[in-house]
Amino acid sequence: MSVFTEYKKELMDAAHNERIRLALSRAIDSYRGNTNSALERFPHTIKMAEEVREIKAKAISEMEKLTQQACEAIEFNKGKAHIAKTAAEALKIIGELVGKDKLIVKGKSLTSEEIELREYLEEHGNEVYETDLGEFIIQKLGSRPMHLVSPSIHVPREDVAQLFSRITGEELPPDDIERMVATAKKLLREKFFEADVGMSGSNVVAADTGTLFLIENEGNIRLATGAPPVHIALVGMEKLVPTLGDAYKVAEVTWRYANYTVPSYVSMVSGPSKTGDIEKVTTYGAHGPKEFHVIFLDDGRTELAKHPVLSQALHCLRCGGCLYECPVFAVTAGHFGDKYFTCMGAVWTAMITRNMEKAAAIAYTCLTCGRCKVRCPMEIDGPEMIIALRKLIAEGD
Amino acid sequence: MIPPGLTYLADNITSKDNILGASKAAGARWAKDLNLPKDTETIFFAGCGYQYADELESMMSLIRRVDRSAVSTELTMSLAGFQKKLGIDAAGIYRKVMTKSSNADALPLRDAVKVLSNLGVKVGYLAENEPCCGGLLYYIGLHKEFTTHAQGVYDRLRSSGVKSIISIIPSCTHALSNLIPSNVTGDSLEVKHFCEVVSGSISSLKLRFPRDVKVTYHDPCQLVRYLGLVEEPRRILRAINGIELIETEWTNGEWATCCGGGGGFEAVFPELSQILAVNRAKELVDTGAEIIVTHCPGCIMQLKTGIKELKVKGVEVLDLTQIVAMAMEA
Repeated sequence: MSVFTEYKKELMDAAHNERIRLALSRAIDSYRGNTNSALERFPHTIKMAEEVREIKAKAISEMEKLTQQACEAIEFNKGKAHIAKTAAEALKIIGELVGKDKLIVKGKSLTSEEIELREYLEEHGNEVYETDLGEFIIQKLGSRPMHLVSPSIHVPREDVAQLFSRITGEELPPDDIERMVATAKKLLREKFFEADVGMSGSNVVAADTGTLFLIENEGNIRLATGAPPVHIALVGMEKLVPTLGDAYKVAEVTWRYANYTVPSYVSMVSGPSKTGDIEKVTTYGAHGPKEFHVIFLDDGRTELAKHPVLSQALHCLRCGGCLYECPVFAVTAGHFGDKYFTCMGAVWTAMITRNMEKAAAIAYTCLTCGRCKVRCPMEIDGPEMIIALRKLIAEGD
Repeated sequence: MIPPGLTYLADNITSKDNILGASKAAGARWAKDLNLPKDTETIFFAGCGYQYADELESMMSLIRRVDRSAVSTELTMSLAGFQKKLGIDAAGIYRKVMTKSSNADALPLRDAVKVLSNLGVKVGYLAENEPCCGGLLYYIGLHKEFTTHAQGVYDRLRSSGVKSIISIIPSCTHALSNLIPSNVTGDSLEVKHFCEVVSGSISSLKLRFPRDVKVTYHDPCQLVRYLGLVEEPRRILRAINGIELIETEWTNGEWATCCGGGGGFEAVFPELSQILAVNRAKELVDTGAEIIVTHCPGCIMQLKTGIKELKVKGVEVLDLTQIVAMAMEA
């Protein structure tokens, strides 16, 4: 079967799957309601998004310079910074840092999905736990994430109850979501403290101070990046902005458009854990990790930044708002995509993970209806990108 | 790597100068008895979608049947291929359509001309000589072919003495007013959409719909999000006595949901396109409206299919031009 035929079959199976449609229609209603009320409560977000558009546009144009600056800052903070030109290089660096037979707890990271980090570490004899509830569900289902912020968006509660009943051997009622959450907590609690390595991504990074922002609600990222002796973060270079102040603005706009008034936790990590409480002698590895590594991933990003139209993809904050407005996504979830979804997924598949045939299939699934652009705080023009990408596919430039 | 369904449509544009590969005479038959002049500075641009609405509908229902059947997904990819394999003769289908129908779906065009004339706007029509805008070539990524085609479109319009265009199909209007001028040399022609022209002077007409009726309005993607025409169609509807406009919750104006058609999507994913049509039709039906008004031939076809699939009784899908024409007669 050709790539297109296989993709179309998967897409149509999803479109006929009532479970996906049910889960998504619930999610779309609640996203729109939550976001509208979050924006009403904090109306300054609209103006702030304008500022962030300028911050991102400038940052993307000087991505390489900012990466150098961030590396220096992280080293100054006694962390270790690495630049990976390719996905293979990133895997090699992380593989060497981790070693074999290790227990790893992971926070949700799309960049790690992009380079298939979990699979790589498992193949090399490590035990990896996804600790975000959605990612945990996906991992246990043997499925793949179907949304940027809510990876298990396509799984209705009834299916989660069934999955957890199977894992624990106890019968979980499908309406008791609280008990499902408690079950995941129980299954994962000890892993945080037994783990050799904690891993994360980052929503935005301040180049001047080398500070990683981690936005979350569950508290799993605080535990995963706080409890183990080593913290390794994998960050796409497009996440860099010049200053701590810029990074804060990016973070606030990101969570607001991800439908939160304010998230429960925002961690700012700049270096390893340290104390000077005994005779002012700085000693590393107090309560948190003694080692802190950041891997900045290029893998096509600096090349993509040069494209006059497609570079918009690098402005994406990964809030996931556009997905709730895409009529195709509403019936197929992330099957309309690859590592990333919808129009953004098409560009990413073409330019970053570089699977042109798959990218073409995704690109011609876009309706070019443009409602994603209306939602996007960065005003990324989905149809414009898709048409430029189709030109690239049809004419080679 | 362009899905073959789309290359078929593209070939029709470059070889037959219309998206369906039908005859140009068939496209122009709606205006036969209207005696519209061909040598005026202002022309009415009818576009493929309305002119070949019947052909389009027959072709789509056929494609959907095949896509749903066990003939496999491989076949629908290649429209030309399956036509051959199944012994389908596009030209034959079009001939049949022409003999059996009076081209009822081109009524929006006749009504549009009637509305313009009542407003004192005189227009010509190029009939067989009206070029296809070629927008689809651009949308599917064939920009070199589009540029060549676009130059031909402009040359033909200019040599016909055209100075300004009143266009009615949203995607043709976008192509004529934005895509073509930025891809050809020479001065731009003035392009306006029908609803812009009408909404400006609608208050000069006394309009009364034949009965009191609740309507909802579906914004075509290109009209609302590419051309920014949100208020114009609503102003027209509000100017008609007897019409109560009820909006969908949230999904109206720039937030309107796509009908699932257009840009060739329906030729590549016919069945998915139908699922999306049903979803949008449901949002519109849920308003309680008796008439769904829209302003694009693609949307009309999609929403009619959606209503049919939903098995909703007593809900009509009509073009804005038809609504205005009915209100003028009453």
